[in-house]
Amino acid sequence: MARFVWYVTKRILSYIVMIFVATSLTFFLASSFMNPRSNFEQRTPRPPQESIEENLYRTNLNDKTPVIERYQVWVTNLFTKFDLGMTPTGDNVNREMSSKFMASIELMTPATILSVVIGVSLGVYTAQRQYQWQDRFLSGVASVLLVIPTVVMAILIVFAAIEINARAGSRIFYVTDLSSGDTGNFFTWLIDFLQHIILPTIVLTIVSSVGYHLSQRTYLLDEMHADYVRTARAKGLTRKKAIRKHALRVSLIPTAVSVAFSLAGIFTGAVMTEKVFAIHGLGEYFINCINNNNIHGAVAVAAFSGAMTLVGALLADLFAAALDPRIKMS
Amino acid sequence: MSDTTTTSTKQGSVEMDDVLRYELLESNGPKGAPTGDPVLSVRNLKVSFNTEAGRVDAVRGVNFDLWGGRTLGIVGESGSGKSVTALSLIGLLDDNAHVTGSIKLGNEELIGKTDEEMSELRGTKISMIFQDPLSALTPMFSIGDQLAEALLTHNPHMSRSDVRKRCIELLSIVGITDPENRLDSFPHEFSGGMRQRVVIAIAIANNPDIIIADEPTTALDVTIQAQILDVLKVAQKETGAAVVLITHDLGVVAGTADDIMVMYAGRGVERASVDTLFAEPRHPYTMGLLGAVPKPHLQAEHRLVPIKGNPPSLAAIPTGCPFNPRCPMATEECSKKEPVLLPANAAEGHLASCHHLQEICEKNLTYAEVYPDFEPILPKWVDVPRNERPVVLKVENLTKTFPVQGKGFIRRSKGTMTAVDRASFEIHEGETLALVGESGSGKSTTLMQIMDLLKPEDGRITVLGKDVAELKNAAQRRELRKDLQVIFQDPMSSLDPRMPVYDVLAEPLQAQGWNKEDINTRIGELMRLVGINPDYVDRFPSQFSGGQRQRIAIARALATSPKILLLDEPIASLDVSIQAGIINLLEDLQVQLKISYLFVAHDLAVIRHISDTVAVMHLGKIVEYGETEDVFTNPQDPYTKALLSAIPIPDPKIERTRERMIYQDGKLVPATHISNE
Repeated sequence: MARFVWYVTKRILSYIVMIFVATSLTFFLASSFMNPRSNFEQRTPRPPQESIEENLYRTNLNDKTPVIERYQVWVTNLFTKFDLGMTPTGDNVNREMSSKFMASIELMTPATILSVVIGVSLGVYTAQRQYQWQDRFLSGVASVLLVIPTVVMAILIVFAAIEINARAGSRIFYVTDLSSGDTGNFFTWLIDFLQHIILPTIVLTIVSSVGYHLSQRTYLLDEMHADYVRTARAKGLTRKKAIRKHALRVSLIPTAVSVAFSLAGIFTGAVMTEKVFAIHGLGEYFINCINNNNIHGAVAVAAFSGAMTLVGALLADLFAAALDPRIKMS
Repeated sequence: MSDTTTTSTKQGSVEMDDVLRYELLESNGPKGAPTGDPVLSVRNLKVSFNTEAGRVDAVRGVNFDLWGGRTLGIVGESGSGKSVTALSLIGLLDDNAHVTGSIKLGNEELIGKTDEEMSELRGTKISMIFQDPLSALTPMFSIGDQLAEALLTHNPHMSRSDVRKRCIELLSIVGITDPENRLDSFPHEFSGGMRQRVVIAIAIANNPDIIIADEPTTALDVTIQAQILDVLKVAQKETGAAVVLITHDLGVVAGTADDIMVMYAGRGVERASVDTLFAEPRHPYTMGLLGAVPKPHLQAEHRLVPIKGNPPSLAAIPTGCPFNPRCPMATEECSKKEPVLLPANAAEGHLASCHHLQEICEKNLTYAEVYPDFEPILPKWVDVPRNERPVVLKVENLTKTFPVQGKGFIRRSKGTMTAVDRASFEIHEGETLALVGESGSGKSTTLMQIMDLLKPEDGRITVLGKDVAELKNAAQRRELRKDLQVIFQDPMSSLDPRMPVYDVLAEPLQAQGWNKEDINTRIGELMRLVGINPDYVDRFPSQFSGGQRQRIAIARALATSPKILLLDEPIASLDVSIQAGIINLLEDLQVQLKISYLFVAHDLAVIRHISDTVAVMHLGKIVEYGETEDVFTNPQDPYTKALLSAIPIPDPKIERTRERMIYQDGKLVPATHISNE
């Protein structure tokens, strides 16, 4: 156990170093490509020059300051106050991010759970009925859905929802944001939330469950014909039981690994879906940061996504080690 | 046979038909004739599959009975239908199998039962041991869990402590030491032999009436094979079960089986008690099988006589007797009508299906008369005696170690593992040196070291008088590589499936910078040399049989006229009846071209036949090195003695009487002393 803890600690420490290096590189990259000065220069009426310089200087975004000095300030604030910096408008990135963060979690959690459950179940169901009509139909549908881009799918679903609303004569589905703002008691809040969340959840669930479905089907098919399943049947298990107990277990290892990565993805949001449904989560924020020359915001989102990816990688290894006795964590 | 003359009488509760009547006469084995009612009766079993290539008839009318405590050996080559027969008994065939006939367990008909119904019988009445122990156990579950599952599936109310007790008991029956602590181990922590023991423990967990062992030792080393066969005997004694032992190796059945059925193209072609079959084989195929295999216990007196042709594809079984295209006795009648099993010796229940059975029996024809083309062993040393020939390959104190690495980000070295430990040997021109050893002994590593033509870690490799450590660049190495070629075990995977034979053969020549015209002539030469029609150069490897593919691989190796061939298990993946042809080819080539062979193999019988000198490797060291005949007749090292005593000999009388020795910590111990009580 001690060795295990030490191993995980070692991994985390090396990850922190990796993230720091990657984030610093992102900082320099963003600083050289983004130009917050233009935000001010393009305003009409154009603010006075001193005011522009003053604003840029205050937010540590002034390109007249050497980039290495700006980096120093940024790093110092990051380590001493965990301050991620300011946006060109003078807002605090920490504060902006934490509000977006919750929206992303609200959006991603149900979709991730649903897509794993639905995708894996469909994969197992179709694998057991390989080449029967259920398999051909469901796997065919999955292949079609797989090639539809997220944006197209989101827009199609929005159209369908608007059509349903029009037919029903009342607004059943909301196609933007996660709430209508004014909430009465918990019950009305919940109804309102569900009306908002259902469409983006459908989009995200379809998009990622298709992947789980097809990969789980392949994994299980690979294992179903393994010799050890035959051994299990020779013991007296029925074919279905042998597959459920033996093949399924082995085939879940690679799935668990990809689930680990998507668990980390819950926190980073979904760029396209958030944009289409105007959900103010981290994904949308990232795009907005780039559009608005928000260097510190973009770097913060990139760093956070990187951290989450590494958390996913660590989780993936832990999952695999927990499921597979052949893997040792030390 | 039963469909021609069925004279049914009643004896006990079993219907007495011809099949059973003759089987009851099979007395010429260690246990005498079977008595009592059979536990399982198979009649006219037929299995066919619908495949993309059309209907494949894998089993075409098989009859046999099993008695508790007796072992039926089913012998056949790939495609003979032996494994399909086994799987149909236990109901584990694929869904696309179409099974007809009758399989009766006592009075219960098994054909037509659903998977659920069969699952009640699997494990309790019929159980099975599979070929590859490495993949037969679920990697995620502990040994104890997998054993317990076998018990709990059929006895769901068994208490945990009873299950545990029984598991420990089972593991000790199959000879796993310290069973209490082994229950929590996972399959990957066990060696192949130990895993096969666990599979056997699972098979006998519920005291089955029938144990089917499908090539249980094919994937194992020879000493482990001997141990597993012993464990199988213990398991049979423990359960009193009838055993069906399926194998292609006649040596394995000689010491284990009571009755033998030889299968060919989905049918039994000969059936007899074990001693009868080995002493008086009556079917030309059985004779061929027995004769084509080199004998590990005898010095070769003549060249091997291969059975010509290949085992038939089940999708295209020849009309008439399926063996007729390969049979030296075949006449016109043979290609018209398929013969049925008829008594060769009615008193002993010896049956064979051959149109010439009468002739064979009357004249008492033997292998030597049926396959008359015996040739004397080729005189290898006529023109220049062996001692006067130059040494072409000399290996001195060759050492190779591998670092044992830790896992994780930074792979720290945790010490070294010595794969080859100061190995020395030399090969003269036109000589064959066999490197013998079990898996992990370092023989393949030695081969790879020589093939690399790089300065070894320690020691010296001299190829054709050149020390490889003094080769300065890739060009010199390439020049030398022309004289040093290698042939691998599996011709299926060592030839690029997308390259026609022409390209396969042209590649080494192009690498040596030959021009197109020379390449074309050379390819024609090569094809004739290895006995393949030169017109086939535009075919792909998949269009050839296993034996032909290995011939192509040999032609590929010979393309640059090498002086030395390194052969890594060149015949291990071939069918028994094909092996002899390849061995003969290698012998011919050696005499014609004066090539030297470094022959790596685990089949000691083949080695005795083909090699001049032998080096026995154990744990990286060469423990014995000498003239082949000396090593085989008078082995000095205890490990060599143990190895030789483990080879199954295709002669039941010898096999039953000789004592097997086991090598333990540098000493020899008779196998009976470490029996699994």
